[in-house]
Amino acid sequence: MSINNIVVSVTGGEQSIITTKYAIYLAKLLNAKLTAVYVVDKKSLHDLLKSRIFVEIEALEFERELEQQGKHFLERAKKLADTKQIQYEGLLLEGVIHEQVVSKTKALNADLLVMGELKEIISIKETYFDEGERIFREAPCPVVVVKNAQKVEALYKEV
Amino acid sequence: MKVSSYLKPEHCLLDLKSANKEDAIKEIAIHFADKGIVKDKAAFTAEILKREKIGSTGIGCGVAIPHARTNAVGEFVLGFGRSEKGIEFDSIDGTKVHLIFVIGTNLKELNLYLRFLAELSRLIMNENFRNALLRAQRPEEIVSIINKYEKIKPLN
Repeated sequence: MSINNIVVSVTGGEQSIITTKYAIYLAKLLNAKLTAVYVVDKKSLHDLLKSRIFVEIEALEFERELEQQGKHFLERAKKLADTKQIQYEGLLLEGVIHEQVVSKTKALNADLLVMGELKEIISIKETYFDEGERIFREAPCPVVVVKNAQKVEALYKEV
Repeated sequence: MKVSSYLKPEHCLLDLKSANKEDAIKEIAIHFADKGIVKDKAAFTAEILKREKIGSTGIGCGVAIPHARTNAVGEFVLGFGRSEKGIEFDSIDGTKVHLIFVIGTNLKELNLYLRFLAELSRLIMNENFRNALLRAQRPEEIVSIINKYEKIKPLN
């Protein structure tokens, strides 16, 4: 059995570029298809609206900006994937981040999930709420956590 | 997401002098802006007040979270102010505000901002947390209290 189908979970920051580059490196090496998934965090937006920290117009504007950030990132990831001539698809989803990533990974029957470095956990509480932690623990397939940007850049250049 | 890592004792005011919402926001914002973490003090305060005009950030239980995303700050900034008398803030529950968190971030930090506000909102729901902040004697205690309650396992 080989690894044919890789999913990479991205959040849009610069760390996500490193994560994506490592996923591209793996996809190239294994001749696998790569699917990048960006989730618009509608759960947090809803919670902030409910707790009155956000007003409706503010939440809508924020949601639009998150969508734009996601689209922009997925286009950027596509350009990187095209450079290395790998099969790529970008998916912009919305909802609870870990639920969407895990369910899409299942639906795609992915062989491998690639994600960014996990944050330092300061309490048990964070293992309940941190989206990265939950993706890591609930993923239905092996997970690769990307670290060491310098090394990743070097590997990406090699392929 | 560690709220306490973004708050420094020197950005906390335990005895706000202001008697109204606008002055209180200015007092806190200018206090921590003076520490050099805000690029443009006037623009930052104006953005916070502009957001406040759209709808009060007095979220009830004596707490307000005035906030803005603006290029007047280089990175994520947080200040805290406490008023013993309380300040009229047009809060959802009609009560006076005693605890005020002023937050600013640049236009790029979307996810960080979202996660930070969500975490702060969860902390504020805890009555013991709010009472501890009301009782604190020194600015250092404010940071310690936040740090302590961040580590408490949620009930649900």
